[in-house]
Amino acid sequence: MTVRGRFWIVVWSAYVLLVLAGVVARQTAAWVTAGDLNALREEHRLLDVTRNDLIRRIRQARSRAVLVSRAERLGLSLPPDSQVVELGLPDPVAR
Amino acid sequence: MRVAFAAGLILLVLRAGEVQLLQGRRYAAEARRTRTRQLELPARRGTIYDRTGIPLAFDQEVYRVNVTPAELVDRREAVELLTRHLGVSRRYVTRQLERRYAWFRGPFTASQVAPLQTVRGVYATSEPQRMHPQPMLAEGVLGRPGTADRPGDGMERVMDSVLRGQPGHAVVLRDQFGRQYESPGRLNQFPVPGSDVYLTLDADLQDLVEQALRSAVDQYRAIGGDVVVMNPRTGELLAVASWQRDEHRPSSPFTSAFQPGSTAKLFAAAALLTDALVSERDSVWGEGGAYRLGSRVVHDDHREGWMTLRRVISRSSNVGIVKFAARLRPERQYVMLRDFGFGSPTGVEYPTESGGTLRRPVQWSSTSAASLAMGYELAVTMLQLTQAYAAIANGGVLMTPQLVDRVYRPDGRLVYQRRPRPVRRVVPPHVATELREMLRGVVAEGGTGETAAMTSYEVAGKTGTARRVVNGRYIPGSTTATFVSLVPADDPQLVMTVKLDDPELVYSRATAAPLTRLMLEQLRAARTGVIERARIAARTPAPASTPAVRPGAVPYVVQWPLPPDTSVAGTTSVPALRHWSLRRAVGELHRRGLRVRVVGWGAVSSVDPAPGTTLPTGTLVTIHGTEREPPRSGSR
Repeated sequence: MTVRGRFWIVVWSAYVLLVLAGVVARQTAAWVTAGDLNALREEHRLLDVTRNDLIRRIRQARSRAVLVSRAERLGLSLPPDSQVVELGLPDPVAR
Repeated sequence: MRVAFAAGLILLVLRAGEVQLLQGRRYAAEARRTRTRQLELPARRGTIYDRTGIPLAFDQEVYRVNVTPAELVDRREAVELLTRHLGVSRRYVTRQLERRYAWFRGPFTASQVAPLQTVRGVYATSEPQRMHPQPMLAEGVLGRPGTADRPGDGMERVMDSVLRGQPGHAVVLRDQFGRQYESPGRLNQFPVPGSDVYLTLDADLQDLVEQALRSAVDQYRAIGGDVVVMNPRTGELLAVASWQRDEHRPSSPFTSAFQPGSTAKLFAAAALLTDALVSERDSVWGEGGAYRLGSRVVHDDHREGWMTLRRVISRSSNVGIVKFAARLRPERQYVMLRDFGFGSPTGVEYPTESGGTLRRPVQWSSTSAASLAMGYELAVTMLQLTQAYAAIANGGVLMTPQLVDRVYRPDGRLVYQRRPRPVRRVVPPHVATELREMLRGVVAEGGTGETAAMTSYEVAGKTGTARRVVNGRYIPGSTTATFVSLVPADDPQLVMTVKLDDPELVYSRATAAPLTRLMLEQLRAARTGVIERARIAARTPAPASTPAVRPGAVPYVVQWPLPPDTSVAGTTSVPALRHWSLRRAVGELHRRGLRVRVVGWGAVSSVDPAPGTTLPTGTLVTIHGTEREPPRSGSR
C-alpha cells in the first residue's frame, strides 16, 4: 500500500473514532443528566413528604385532644361564658 | 496481504449492513425490551381541605423495601442501615436476610428510605397512600378512596371523578443495577393531578365538636351521639360529628333516622301560626298533666294550667300541643312537615342519605295527628332536623345543606364555587320571627332548655326527649335526648343540633342542652372564625338587672380582703342558691373557692354557671338578684 493510501486510512479511521467518541460522550452526558434529574425529583419528593409530615405533626399538636389535656395538667381551664367578653369597636366610618 | 485486508473490510461492511438493514429492527426491539420499560405514572389524588385551607386528606408516597441478600456487598453494614433507618429490630432484619428475598412491608417514608437507595441489593418501591393530618377528624364525612376490592365512601367517593386525576405513561431506561431513569428524549404523557376540593367544614369547629361529643358520651353514659352545625343563611355544613361507644354500631347524621320528640312541636306551631288558627291570647287547659285522647292518655312531665301556644312550646307540653294541633287538618299538618323537608332527602353532596319516614295522611290512625305533633310516628335524620330549624332561623326559607365549597384545578383555576341554594319558603317571615321568640322562651328561666342559656348573648332552642325505638319496639327507660339551638337568638349565625342516644340521665335538659352550652362556650373562646364576633358584640345587651347606683353607694358585696387568685388544682361544683340571700350565697361560693360577681339586689334569682356545674376553683360565678333597685335599708 502506498503512503498516500495509508494516510487516508488513518484519516478515515480517526474520523470514525472521533464520531464514535462523540456519540459515546453524548450518551454518557444524557445518562448523567438523567441521573441528576432523577436525584432532583427524589429530593423534591422528599421535601414534599417532609412538609406533609410536618403539617401532620403540627395539626396533631394543635388538636384539642392534645392541647386541652396539657392545659389541664398546667392548671389551666377553658373559660366559662361569663369570663369571655366581646368588645365592640366603634364604627370606623362614624369616627 | 492487501487482498486479505480488503476482504476483511468488505466482510465487515457487509456484516454491518446485514445487522443494520436486515436485522436492525429485531436488535432494536430486543434493546428496547431489555433496557427500557413502559411505566404507568399514577396521578396524585387531589387534596381535600376545610373551608380555611387546612388539609384534611392528601396523597403522600410511602415506600416498601425489598432486599436481595445475594446482591449485598456487606451484609453486616446492610443490617445496620436497615435497622437504623427503617426502625425495625436487628433480629428481624437478620432473620429476613437469611431468606432468598427479604421484604419489609412498611410503609416507610421517603426520608427513611433515602439513605438506602445507593445500597446494592436494596430496592424501594413507592406507592401513593391517603394520609390524614389529624386521624379521625371528620372521618365520617371524608370517607376513604375506593380500591379494586371495595368502593369508596364519604366525600372521597362523591368527589372521586374530580380528585382522581389522569395517570400518565413514561418510558424509562434501566441501568445495569436495575435502577430506572426517565428518558428525556422519549415521549411521555405526564400524569394530570386531581383537582383540590375545599369543603364547607371548619376544621377547628369540627375538632371542638368531636372532642366535646366524645367527652359527653362518656360523661352521660350514652351509647352514642351526633352533632350537626349549619349556617342557616347559606346552608353550609360547618361541622358534622358522630361518635359511638361501640364502633360496630353504625350511625351517621346522614343516614340514621330517629323520632325527634318534642323538637317537632315547633312545626305544628308553624302550621297553626301560618294559617292564623291560633292567636297570641288563645290558650288551652293542661288537664293537670294527663289528657285522655281516645284510647290513649297523653302525659306531661309537669302539671300545667291554662297555656298559650308560647307556653306550650317553652314548657314542652304534650297535652298543649295535641290540643292546639287538633285545629289542623291532617293534610295541612302533613304538608307543613313535608315543606320543612321531612320525608325526603335533603340533597346534600353525600353518597348515602336517608329521607326519614313520614307517612301520608291516608295511612294515619285516629291518633297519628297527635303523635306527629308530639314528634312520634315520624323519623328524621339529624340533617333534616337541622335544615328545618335553619329555615326558622333564616326568616322562613329552607336552604339545601351543602358540603362542597369550591374546587380548584391543579393549575389553580377555580372550576366550582358554591352558591346558596334555597329550596322553598316554608313560613312567612313574621311567623319565623314569632317561632324564634317561642324558642327564646324555651331557653329562658323556667323553660325546658334553660341549662343551655348563656349570659353573654341569648340562645334560642328546643329540647326533645323521645323514647327510643329499636327493631320496631320501644325500649323502656331508653331515650333520645335532642337539643336544637339557634345562636344568637335575635340574628342566628349558627344552628346546632345535638343528639345523645340513651343517656343515663334521660332528659335533654340534663344532657343535650348543657352539652350545647359547653360547646358554645368553647366556641366563644376558640379562634375559629365561623361566628362573626362583631355582630355579637354589637348586639350584646346591657345587663338588665344592673341597678341604678346612687353616688357613693357600694354596688357589690365582696369579701375583704379579696381572696387571692388561686391556682390550686381542684374542682368544685356550683351549689343550688336560688332564694338564698346574696350575702349567704356569696359566702358559700367563696367557701368553695369560687370568685363571685353580684348583679342586683334581694335574693338570688339565678346563678351562672348553672347549679351542678363542675368548675375549677377560682372560676368567676355570677349571681343575679331578684331586685333591680337596692332596698331602702341598703343592706343585702
